[in-house]
Amino acid sequence: MLVVALSLSETDLSTIEGYTSDIKKLLTAPKPAVAVLPAHSALALGLGIGKLNNFNSYQETFASYIADGAEWTSEFLDLHGRLSKELQIYLAAGTLIEQEKDHFYQTIYCFNPDGQVCGVQRQTHLTRFELDLHLSRGESLDLFHIGDFRTGLVIGNDARHPEVGRIMALQGADLLLHCGAIAGDYTCWQQTAAMWTQVQQNQFFAVEAQLSITVGGLSFGAGPAIVAPCEITFGNTGYLARGNPTSPLVYAELDKKALAKIRNDYPLLKLLNPDAYSELYRGEPQ
Amino acid sequence: MNLNGWKEKLFQRYLIWSCRPAKIRRYLRAILPSLPLPDPVDRQKVRVAALQIKLELCQNPVAFADLIHRRIKEAYVAGARLVVFPEYLNLLLFGVLPGFEQLEQAYVSEADDSKPAAGEGGDEQISLPDLFRFMTPAVLPLLTTLFSALAIVYRLYIMAGSYTLAANGSVTNRAFLYGPDGKLIGIQDKVHLLPVEEEWNLKRGKNFKVFDTAIGRLAMPVCMDATYFETFRILENHGAEIVALPIANLESYNYWLALRGIWPRVQESPLFGIKSALVGSIAGLTFTGRAGIFAPLELTANGDGVLAEVEHFDREAMAVADLNLKALQELRQDHPWRDRNPALYGRYFPEIYQR
Repeated sequence: MLVVALSLSETDLSTIEGYTSDIKKLLTAPKPAVAVLPAHSALALGLGIGKLNNFNSYQETFASYIADGAEWTSEFLDLHGRLSKELQIYLAAGTLIEQEKDHFYQTIYCFNPDGQVCGVQRQTHLTRFELDLHLSRGESLDLFHIGDFRTGLVIGNDARHPEVGRIMALQGADLLLHCGAIAGDYTCWQQTAAMWTQVQQNQFFAVEAQLSITVGGLSFGAGPAIVAPCEITFGNTGYLARGNPTSPLVYAELDKKALAKIRNDYPLLKLLNPDAYSELYRGEPQ
Repeated sequence: MNLNGWKEKLFQRYLIWSCRPAKIRRYLRAILPSLPLPDPVDRQKVRVAALQIKLELCQNPVAFADLIHRRIKEAYVAGARLVVFPEYLNLLLFGVLPGFEQLEQAYVSEADDSKPAAGEGGDEQISLPDLFRFMTPAVLPLLTTLFSALAIVYRLYIMAGSYTLAANGSVTNRAFLYGPDGKLIGIQDKVHLLPVEEEWNLKRGKNFKVFDTAIGRLAMPVCMDATYFETFRILENHGAEIVALPIANLESYNYWLALRGIWPRVQESPLFGIKSALVGSIAGLTFTGRAGIFAPLELTANGDGVLAEVEHFDREAMAVADLNLKALQELRQDHPWRDRNPALYGRYFPEIYQR
């Protein structure tokens, strides 16, 4: 199965037409089955086309989206449902802000080739910045099928929390689609400490879309990547494909048989010792 | 070939006699210096040393004592307050077994499927766990005496590495921590076993321990334990600040393969990690690694999570670095991205481990 991770680098964000045209162009040659957009895609496009307002600081801009972005969020979802149908792909549309009662969540929607929603995931672990914006945490991690790949969605900071990968792996995940955005100067180590680390200790694939543009005055810089267990990658790097902050996309073929083989040869999850973890999450609310 | 014949039993008695504490103490008294007391511990600068040990067989217990002494002295001279030895250190003592070279050839042949294994069609081959059991009555008093005496003289905390030792009918992979007063602070049995260790019927440890010391709260899970985030989450929850991890990695060296283990764990559960490595070959098994000292990305000058790392994966070396426990505490108290989600964990754990 061919998968693509996008960065929104070299993508026209000033008009809907320019945006859809560029996404189509980027995906025409590889013709993937699955494409993943980075985090903050709704914010970036909303600001670019003037549906959302830029303020003096990224924090104010983001807060404004949370407060007043519901209409744009709805348009954004419609747009990406149409795009997935037109391109006949599964499309994880990056992240947006959605409201339920008094709570706001950072959420990924994934569309199937019919343009229907096939997976939804709320962010479960928040950064200090996100807590200050009064976002709420999702409380479940669910899988859905893309072909014979059991698939989960991972948002931003969730990639740094190993509980997320473990819960998905123990539910049977074969593939995680990660919508990420790392602010500040480029360093590969923040990425390595996130999804690469989760892949190595759980033995699944991950498509890691990383935002690589400036949004609301804040610069994001990390490279898109396709991650796999080291043993089934060239040079044992753990990367099937790896871009830099200027790469608009990377793509790779996922080999389910190779994944099954490494899981069989070195069954990491079977070597867990749950008897030793009894105190770890004891007393957490059910 | 077995280990229950009269010759083998006689040799075992000789082995125990040659490793007896009185002999080791007498030898050390003759060679050890008298040293001044160290400065008080500064929590902003706790110097630690991670040793990389080349797997070379020691022909007698004194040779082993000399090697351990030389490496501890090296760490002392570098100013370390804690020195960390690697996993499976007892393998070095296989050199005291007469005829071990022939046995090793048999293991090498067994590891290489193209050659017939020695012992096939004839003598039954002695397994490595058999050897671990056979040597335990000699190895345990030796290491206890040796590390205790050296800790007192050099006034160091010593994580003495791990040893496969028999007790109550089973074999465990056990790490030892000694304090500067020479007392055994604690032990830690390996909780997650390699497939080959499961084949050997090693017994898993049941839990993880953290030890309060003057240089911080220390823990010492063993090698494979660092493959799983759960280990470090538990240790962090128990207040561990420094994790000393002995390893003996059974694989050809590759940077990325070696990166799995303590480096990611230190990023997930912020604390300092010290990895000591056994390198070299024995009995058809080849170990590689690079000893190093690791920290959260936020606490390293290059933002790469590495405070110090030895250059080569196949030779003797030592990594030394200063740990700032105060900075670690501040990072934990005001962390930019760490979060907990009790509702999520309560929904899935611990039942999900049974799937």
